[in-house]
Amino acid sequence: MSEPSRAECRMCAAPPHAFIVPPDAPVLVTGATGFVGPAVVASLLRHGHRNIRTLARPSSALARFDAIVRSHPHGANVEVVRGNLLSPDDCTAATRDIAVIYHLAMKGDKSYPDAYMNTVVTTRNLLDACLRDGTLRRFVNVSSFAVYSNTGKTQRRLLDESSPVERQSHRRGEAYCFAKQKQDEIVAEYGRDHGVPYVIVRPGSVFGPGKHAITGRVGIDSFGIYLHLGGSNRIPFTYLDNCADAIVLAGLTAGVDGEVFNVVDDDLPTSRQFLRLYKRNVRPFPSIYVPHAISYTLCYLWEKYSAWSQGQLPPAFNRSRWHAEWKKTRYSNCKAKARLGWTPRVPMPEALDRYFQACRNRQHA
Amino acid sequence: MLKVAIIGCGKIADDHATQIQRIANCEIVGVCDREPLMARQLFERFPVKKYYSDVAQLLTDARPDVAHITTPPQGHFELAHLCLENGCHVYVEKPFTLNLKEAEELVGLAEAKGLKLAVGHDHQFTHVARRMRTLVQNGYLGGPPVHMECLYCYDLSDPAYARALLGDKQHWVRKLPGKLLQNIISHGIARLAEHLITEAPQVVACGFTSPLLKSLGETDIVDELRVIISEQEQTTAYFTFSSQMRPAVSQFRIFGPKNGLLLDQDHEVLLRLSGKRLKSYAEKFLPPIGAASQLLGNLTTNVRTFLANDFHFKAGMRHLIESFYQSIRKGTPVPIPYREILRTARIMDDIFEQLYAE
Repeated sequence: MSEPSRAECRMCAAPPHAFIVPPDAPVLVTGATGFVGPAVVASLLRHGHRNIRTLARPSSALARFDAIVRSHPHGANVEVVRGNLLSPDDCTAATRDIAVIYHLAMKGDKSYPDAYMNTVVTTRNLLDACLRDGTLRRFVNVSSFAVYSNTGKTQRRLLDESSPVERQSHRRGEAYCFAKQKQDEIVAEYGRDHGVPYVIVRPGSVFGPGKHAITGRVGIDSFGIYLHLGGSNRIPFTYLDNCADAIVLAGLTAGVDGEVFNVVDDDLPTSRQFLRLYKRNVRPFPSIYVPHAISYTLCYLWEKYSAWSQGQLPPAFNRSRWHAEWKKTRYSNCKAKARLGWTPRVPMPEALDRYFQACRNRQHA
Repeated sequence: MLKVAIIGCGKIADDHATQIQRIANCEIVGVCDREPLMARQLFERFPVKKYYSDVAQLLTDARPDVAHITTPPQGHFELAHLCLENGCHVYVEKPFTLNLKEAEELVGLAEAKGLKLAVGHDHQFTHVARRMRTLVQNGYLGGPPVHMECLYCYDLSDPAYARALLGDKQHWVRKLPGKLLQNIISHGIARLAEHLITEAPQVVACGFTSPLLKSLGETDIVDELRVIISEQEQTTAYFTFSSQMRPAVSQFRIFGPKNGLLLDQDHEVLLRLSGKRLKSYAEKFLPPIGAASQLLGNLTTNVRTFLANDFHFKAGMRHLIESFYQSIRKGTPVPIPYREILRTARIMDDIFEQLYAE
């Protein structure tokens, strides 16, 4: 990968914003071997940061991560600390002398306790280690759109950083939503009670090479045939590299402590447009469109039956989930653009092309 | 109102809390985990009165009648001991303890204190397992079992468990005396132990690491196990644990002098295996019709149970917990006799001793 010139880099061409740390400041990236993590490391390198530490589980494969580091020939000092965020000692070792932490590590567990342990307990351990070390200038918590309730609003209303988050997140039937909401809470709590400087970044549906499944906001294939639920909804996509740029800027930009930033790209396709393009560019498959009124009714009935039967059917479908994932909503990225100087570097048509190409390559592999 | 506490707030504690909620006249007065956040998350999601990070405080403050121990097995003995000392009946998740010695000590203490114990072998209390037990008790086999076979598989490609275990050399499962097997096989061994008579049957075990795990660089974990159990030259049993066999079944077959039974846990199917032989071609045509009829009957039963809203995935756990609470309230026998708990522990000790003798 060649490093873009300053003129080519649209992000660098954005209005200048002061950064809180110099390029040689030590930065920690957790989850650097996951889907978004390597792109964050690449973005940091592109921003000139050369002192990067990552924390990876002993079992994590480093292939993607190594490829990114190798592609930046400027002699970056990228250190990999093997450890587990459940271990306070490992957290202490990872956070020593660190100025900015990008906390992306998570595990997509289906059980609530596992998701909570691997998201909230790990975050608490990391925050405690930061307090012990005392060198931290910014803690960037990478959250998710999943925490927004998207309820109590009329259709077509805008979802932005001021939108309410899910208060009864365990009722949505998604351990991920519960864990992410509690993670945001504990980060804010440490900011309030211990003065930890933090920023929360909430990406929409991150897509790109390396993640091939179609987001559930478009539809589901749980019942043997693909049910298209999104219809004319805009899908809050953010391309991997664009999202990584926003995360990096959230850690560097001055004057945004305590802020939340939603990350979605420009020119979002509708669910129907995306599905059509996917079928044309990757593989055709049958799907059935389920209109919003019907999907809402089915979610309502499922929720009621689940409650009545005391969980004989788990509450996987419910009105809360419908509002969060399938309700028609508009999205804004104005705050990230204005406060971070972020602009999606890869335009949506090109991002989709890259994604479809990666999906095709995977199919042929 | 029975006051219940849950100690250990990991994954299995969710199942306990869910099933306890479905049982009348009991309440969860406290949950406890040494990681306070884990205790808090359970407290936030279930109707629980209070959460704790110290067991002693839970016992003195909430004063539960029953404590459910749902921690990793390394903590079972110590915690159960503490609860019994504090006058609580105790339900311990499987495996009951790390070894027979600990199991005997807990049973002895419970008996001395006039308290009750249960172990989380809930697979023995599913609908289909209870139907099988009824048939056995009614003499369908025609006498004591001649032979039993238990197939118990675990798909290690399940990322939730396997990735965590295989990727973490410090995982608590690796520190058990029987490693992975100790955390998994007790359900299957307990099925056999239920129908054995002697306290110390003869056990011959053979185990190895599957080629798949070896290819992943794993050498410590035994994930293929074959066991022969026999007692007094009368009843014999085979136990098979496999992580590689497909389909990954959970089946139990028991044969008596007259008839046999086949229990398919995955599909909640129970088939009667008649010992009668028919003449000539009737033997080829009529039994398949009978088998088809039995399968249809099982389907009908399962649908009926579902429609009656009693076909939850953890129906066996609910029945076991409810039976245990009933035995506490009414002074009736415990759902799993202590001799079965001890026999299961002894067989497992024998297996691990042979596998890990070196």
